[in-house]
Amino acid sequence: MSHIFPEVLAPAGSLDKLKVAVLYGANAVYVGGQKFGLRTAADNFTLDELREGVNFAHERGAQVYVVLNSFLHDKDLAELPNFVHFLSEIKVDAVIVSDLGVVKTVSSLSNIAIHISTQASTLNVEAAKLWKSMGATRVVVGRELSVKEAGKIKREAGIEVEMFIHGSMCMAYSGHCVISNFTQGRDSNRGGCAHSCRFEYSLDMGLDTEEKKKAFFMSSKDLEGLRILPEFINEGIDSLKIEGRMKSHLYAGTMSKIYTEALAYYREHGNFLSEDLLYWETELKKVSHRAYSNASLVEPAGADSIFNERENAEKEWQMVGTVVEASPSLGIVIEVRNAFNQGDELEIIPFKGPVISLLANEITDIMMKAVTRTRPSTLIKLPYVDGVESLQLVRQKVKA
Amino acid sequence: MKLTTFAQNLNDLNLIKDQGLGEVILGHQNFSRFGKLDNDSLLSLAKRAKEMDLKVIFEWDILMTENTFMKLAADILPLLNSFDSLRVQDPGALEWGFKNTNKPLQFIAENGNHNLPGLQGWIDHVQGRMERIVLSIELPKNKIEEYCQRLNVPCELLGIGRILLFYTPRQLLSPLAEDKFSFNQEISAVGESEESPHKGFPIVENRHGTFMFHIKDFCLVDYAQELKGLGLGYFRVDLRFSEFSQLKEVKDLSENFTETSFEAFKEKYPQDLMRGFYLVNKTDVLFPKLKNHRLQNREGDYVGEVLEAEKGSHLAIFVSNTKGLRKSDKLKIVHPKGEVFELLIYSLRNLNLEEVDYIEPQKTAVIQYLGGVWVKSHVFYRN
Repeated sequence: MSHIFPEVLAPAGSLDKLKVAVLYGANAVYVGGQKFGLRTAADNFTLDELREGVNFAHERGAQVYVVLNSFLHDKDLAELPNFVHFLSEIKVDAVIVSDLGVVKTVSSLSNIAIHISTQASTLNVEAAKLWKSMGATRVVVGRELSVKEAGKIKREAGIEVEMFIHGSMCMAYSGHCVISNFTQGRDSNRGGCAHSCRFEYSLDMGLDTEEKKKAFFMSSKDLEGLRILPEFINEGIDSLKIEGRMKSHLYAGTMSKIYTEALAYYREHGNFLSEDLLYWETELKKVSHRAYSNASLVEPAGADSIFNERENAEKEWQMVGTVVEASPSLGIVIEVRNAFNQGDELEIIPFKGPVISLLANEITDIMMKAVTRTRPSTLIKLPYVDGVESLQLVRQKVKA
Repeated sequence: MKLTTFAQNLNDLNLIKDQGLGEVILGHQNFSRFGKLDNDSLLSLAKRAKEMDLKVIFEWDILMTENTFMKLAADILPLLNSFDSLRVQDPGALEWGFKNTNKPLQFIAENGNHNLPGLQGWIDHVQGRMERIVLSIELPKNKIEEYCQRLNVPCELLGIGRILLFYTPRQLLSPLAEDKFSFNQEISAVGESEESPHKGFPIVENRHGTFMFHIKDFCLVDYAQELKGLGLGYFRVDLRFSEFSQLKEVKDLSENFTETSFEAFKEKYPQDLMRGFYLVNKTDVLFPKLKNHRLQNREGDYVGEVLEAEKGSHLAIFVSNTKGLRKSDKLKIVHPKGEVFELLIYSLRNLNLEEVDYIEPQKTAVIQYLGGVWVKSHVFYRN
């Protein structure tokens, strides 16, 4: 199916995150089962959760794509048919595949739409034509492509095109990095990536100086394509993908909401000259990230796309928790992830519209005992505020 | 089993001929990751190779984005007249070669491609034009044997050469080079990280991007006779980063292996050697340790997760199944560390602290406390 406007495709590392992403506006989510994906360490979905997730998404008009994007060995492939039958039965909307053996298996057993993963590094019209002839309906193009090149692929190959618009990036051509395989004994292309590209390296470059260069030279800045949205639309890109199945609820929700709002603005006004642009950019920066870059979306990524820094755990904003239940009679019950104090200013992110700021002056535990400082992994209650619903996210500016 | 290798100049070609090899792979600077030949030198070398009765193979292993692809693909056609076969890695290049040339095709299936249906799929796609398929060095020998026996085209495997770990089109070394290198000049470095157990990764930046290799080279020279027995068609000798004159020793060893000669060869070879995953590939055995499998089991009678455990007071359970939770339900609670507790609900309240008989799905149940149960414990019906 072609879209006049691209869909926002959000990551969902768990059933909770799927619900968060869909409620915050994502048109589609991609999820992984317990096997066959590239995020072995993620929660991933049980079969029951997949069924529930698909139902939840479909009831709200969103689609669910299931990742089968490992480079499977024969023994893995032998286990695939039962899972494919299950995915077909629960009516997932597509599977994301990088291996031709998986393409062949899925297409021989089901009518599930096949999207070719970015792991396959589809970089040109000819590759897209080849995958189309193999039965694929969409290619998730390599992150080395510009939006214009991706648009050309869509037009000339006659296939849906999905592009990453936001998130962490492999520095290597996806699917072409085996550092983990050979140095850590973990197959990066079957879900065991050890992120060796984020390490600091000492480099002897044969320069006159005896001192070795120390650099995070293989680490890429994060991708952020908000300001390029009009180009994605003009080029007819079908799907805007947000990376990050391992990332937080706050990430899944914020990204889904901001990109959905930005697209809605463009749809309504036909332009992107919005005062909200700065607001959207500010919101994106409130989620933990490396320095942002356009990477290759406009021109091939240059030296300024290298994130030559240690991974930074410090963040300006932190997630306080998730709303578990909310009603006028109950108040707002929050599952606390990070502690906060009585009197702190919190922000609740509604599914649509501006954030709700509130002062946490009256905090109790669920037994109605007053609390002055909350603790992680507890439930607390705040007085009810209009517009607050369960699964909304609560954040707080980190104190200096 | 035949040997195949790369030539970068006439001396290499002469040695290839002297050693009785039947073919040579040539790399153009615009199409081959480590190719150094321009049009004239490529054509001259190809012509000379033909005169030596060598089969000449054009290597196109650069991955190309659309703009570069379209700009350069047309340049290949006049060059290909001097070649016998086209060898590609990008599926787009395979498709282009299939549609736009009549040359036999060799497909480098070294990334992924670890299953038979996929490999056979590439062969079938080009309808009889696939001349050879290059297998991944991550395959263990039982798989190499199976593919050599079951695929209907000859298979090739790296016999000796560098192990490419990482390939990006981005120029990663030149930003650190303090303007000491000119544009597109090849830069070499050796890298090590305190976070990696290995020291001394060779790194190369050239016009096509940046490449990092393993600290050891791949070597199956001591298994060459075994590979021949498995049915391998071509044994690739890649000495582009070492001493090409060692081709002679590799040829001798592949035909008449002795431990003494092999030790002497290794002594001279500039890198340490490894056989990779040839005997066994266990790169998935660590996966179960990457997450807590006790917390992965949420199938079947799963009720939900403990959100709060307040000692002496209550447990709060988020009911995430579709059945809800009833007073007098019997529960099994699995602690994140694996300890299992059993419990009969006698106190069931909602978050308004009202005593109820039933908590519906997607709501939170407050039940009596049970010592030892922690937050994130998983709750199941006990039947």
